[in-house]
Amino acid sequence: MTQPIAMLDGPLWPYLALMLFAVLPTEIWRWLAVGFSRGLSNDSPLLEWVRAVATALLAGIVAKLMVSPPGVLAAAPGWVRVAALAAAAAVMLFDKRRMMLAVLAGEMILIGGVWLFAAG
Amino acid sequence: MFRAGILSNPLRPDGLMSVSADWSWQRVALAGMRDALMLPAWIVGFGLIGIGSLARDVGYPVDVAVLSTILVWAGPSQVLFFASIAAGAAWSAIVIAIAFASLRFLPMTMAILPLLRRPGQSIWQQLLLAHYVAVTAWSEGLRRLPGIAPHQRVAYFLGFANTCMVVSSIGTFAGYYLLGALPIPFAAGLLCLTPMFFLVSLIAGLRHRGDVAALILGLAFAPVCEHFIGGGFDLIVAGLAAGSLAFLIGRKRKPA
Repeated sequence: MTQPIAMLDGPLWPYLALMLFAVLPTEIWRWLAVGFSRGLSNDSPLLEWVRAVATALLAGIVAKLMVSPPGVLAAAPGWVRVAALAAAAAVMLFDKRRMMLAVLAGEMILIGGVWLFAAG
Repeated sequence: MFRAGILSNPLRPDGLMSVSADWSWQRVALAGMRDALMLPAWIVGFGLIGIGSLARDVGYPVDVAVLSTILVWAGPSQVLFFASIAAGAAWSAIVIAIAFASLRFLPMTMAILPLLRRPGQSIWQQLLLAHYVAVTAWSEGLRRLPGIAPHQRVAYFLGFANTCMVVSSIGTFAGYYLLGALPIPFAAGLLCLTPMFFLVSLIAGLRHRGDVAALILGLAFAPVCEHFIGGGFDLIVAGLAAGSLAFLIGRKRKPA
């Protein structure tokens, strides 16, 4: 386990570590965005591009989590993970209002798939 | 209380409940809370159950786990933080990994703030609004806010996002004490909830050809870049390349 920095160790260390090493590197981008978005109008082409990049980044995270799954999700065979997401996507493409049904369908395939096909 | 609202505001074709322009801010905030409780808040809440157990594994107190949900408000950053401590990574490596994983908040926040901006809004109010930007509030916000009168958007957004945050804090707290006891298929199901909801939210928010292209290219480019680039830069490269290409596709052929 990563050790506390010696001179800062103490009962408050976990809180300090959280602020310095998790909150700050995450929040900084939201703060910078406040500065950058000043004077940016709602329908500018720059904003369209920014939106497209944000959408692609999120889609990229989905793909990465499928290719290299964290923790116990790795217990699900690759095709089960992909089938679960494909089922959720298929429901959404059929009817964009059915978010609940889409998530339920995907989860059922994933949980059932791990139950039936996970090694061990 | 909700019944009257629902009866007087029939479902719009896109399935979203409408908010009347003459509602008080309290009623608008309640509408935001209601929309969050219809599904999104539960997904984020269940998705962050795992954070509690990760924090417990490294011996951090339960309030650090819950604080991480409130102050970081980004599942991937929280997973990286606790999982890297467990793995013994250097602090500098942890910071860099989290900073790269969170770079998405720059374009995401820039895209949603113009919808929430009002004349006379202070920089502090904008910083506060920006803090709530994460996948759920972002994708749902981009989808729902344009249909709401500009002066009501902040109340709606805060009602929606705070509800998600409260439910998620309870989820993180519960996970700290409960998750270890869960059978593997269900634990895997909880971990898959985040990517699944990311994908479902993105599809729900598709408006035109450019959006579709960004989604498909992002899905395709990320694994390729991970294979050939790696080292933490891959996601940014994939996002910039796929997003820029999608932007050009969207410009060429206007609304599908």
